[in-house]
Amino acid sequence: MLDKIKKDFTTMTWVLIPVAIAINIAIGQIVVLLKLPVFLDSIGTVLVGIICGPWAGALTGALSNTIWGLFNPDSLPWWPVAFFIGLVAGFCANAGLFKNWWKVILSGFLIALTAAIVSTPISVYLYGGITASGSSFITAYLLQTGQGLWSAVVSTSFLTEPVDKISTAMLAFAIVQGLSKRLVARFPRPENAAAEAGNSTTQLITAIIVTIIVVALGFVVRNMLS
Amino acid sequence: MHERLSYYVKRDSSIHRLNPLTKIVVALGIILISFSSPWYWTSLILLFLVITPLCFVGEVSKEFFRSAIRLIIPAAGFIFLMQAFFQPVGETVIFSFWILDVTQESLSYGFYVATRIAVMISAFTFFLLTTHPSELMSDLTRRGLPGQFAYVIISTLQILPQMQAKAQTIIAAQRSRGLDTESTFLKRAGSLVPLVGPLVFGSLIEVEERAIAIEARGFTSTHVKTSLHDVPDTSLDKTIRWILVGLVVITLVLKLWLS
Repeated sequence: MLDKIKKDFTTMTWVLIPVAIAINIAIGQIVVLLKLPVFLDSIGTVLVGIICGPWAGALTGALSNTIWGLFNPDSLPWWPVAFFIGLVAGFCANAGLFKNWWKVILSGFLIALTAAIVSTPISVYLYGGITASGSSFITAYLLQTGQGLWSAVVSTSFLTEPVDKISTAMLAFAIVQGLSKRLVARFPRPENAAAEAGNSTTQLITAIIVTIIVVALGFVVRNMLS
Repeated sequence: MHERLSYYVKRDSSIHRLNPLTKIVVALGIILISFSSPWYWTSLILLFLVITPLCFVGEVSKEFFRSAIRLIIPAAGFIFLMQAFFQPVGETVIFSFWILDVTQESLSYGFYVATRIAVMISAFTFFLLTTHPSELMSDLTRRGLPGQFAYVIISTLQILPQMQAKAQTIIAAQRSRGLDTESTFLKRAGSLVPLVGPLVFGSLIEVEERAIAIEARGFTSTHVKTSLHDVPDTSLDKTIRWILVGLVVITLVLKLWLS
């Protein structure tokens, strides 16, 4: 197990991680400049997860938030969320979920689900559910309608995270596909980035069914909390 | 968009002479005590009677107050307002605005959360003002942290300003070509690709060259490396660290005992 993880941390991985963190932060700032209603601040993390494996992705996420905390202290307590984004992105890539566009949507959804689950306790414990982010308006509205604190926070995350994480996964996928095959081959897991040619109907149906199951699961979790 | 990355201010105070690990233990200890304390006023007391005096001792009070105005007060103030307006707790309405009620309870809760956040940010700021990142990294490497971690952190701090400058250049260049970054939502979303593409591909291409360069300098070598800087670690440092650990444990016990 440990040896397997160690294999992912080649010199290429160690050099990619700082670049990926800088990509996270720089794109996050471009998005703010363009006034888009998403964060897109984990593209680098997902990228490392795809081509260098889950644990490298997790490390990138955690360090990314810690370093971003140097000039945006509000991002500091959210490092576990970033950690799990990188980890889940890596596992999805290992399972072959970064090989064509609809699988990428599925990975984005799984990442969003994880992010929502991990961020909820942080949001509730540190901020009482109302964080400094704009999506807290939804939480506040749900609280006013009489929902419980946990279910209000979880519902807000389920409403806002998928859009952000699916576009993040899509952009990371596009970046990996845009890199030259020779460069990708130097990283530990080039096979995760190899795109599939043509997609069969059965695969599409499987993906739709899995997405529906994931959505249903989300609702079950929500109802259990409320 | 172009922030200063290293907060470090070079002074010769007793705080600066402490071991970097001691300072990070102090900062984390203060944060943990503030978040786990069962008492309402702990954070405020830590802020004014612990962190602020420490900054005076460390001769960084001017820089600390500057970052307080620029960073800590806006962040904490914003969280306070959000809590005051949106927390649906309490009965004693002080005033109403549209559908939002500001109650006595939500005000006091908002103050509680905001002071905790303020302690977190200011303890971290204090640590950054008095500790040079490379000093921390060489000390942690000496204590057994793999050199690769130190490389990642130091290298990120160097790459980030370059990357931000590059992003500025790309934005300016694309704008001069007529790229729309200000009008409708679809146009703004569409201009994401021509901005992100050159930035990301440009920086990823450098990765391979850099990997070869540091590999040639023994990056993956497992031999013990000698350090140019010798970071002192006195018995005072050890005492301070143990005191902080003790205080955190006491606070946690109190918290569990009282709740």
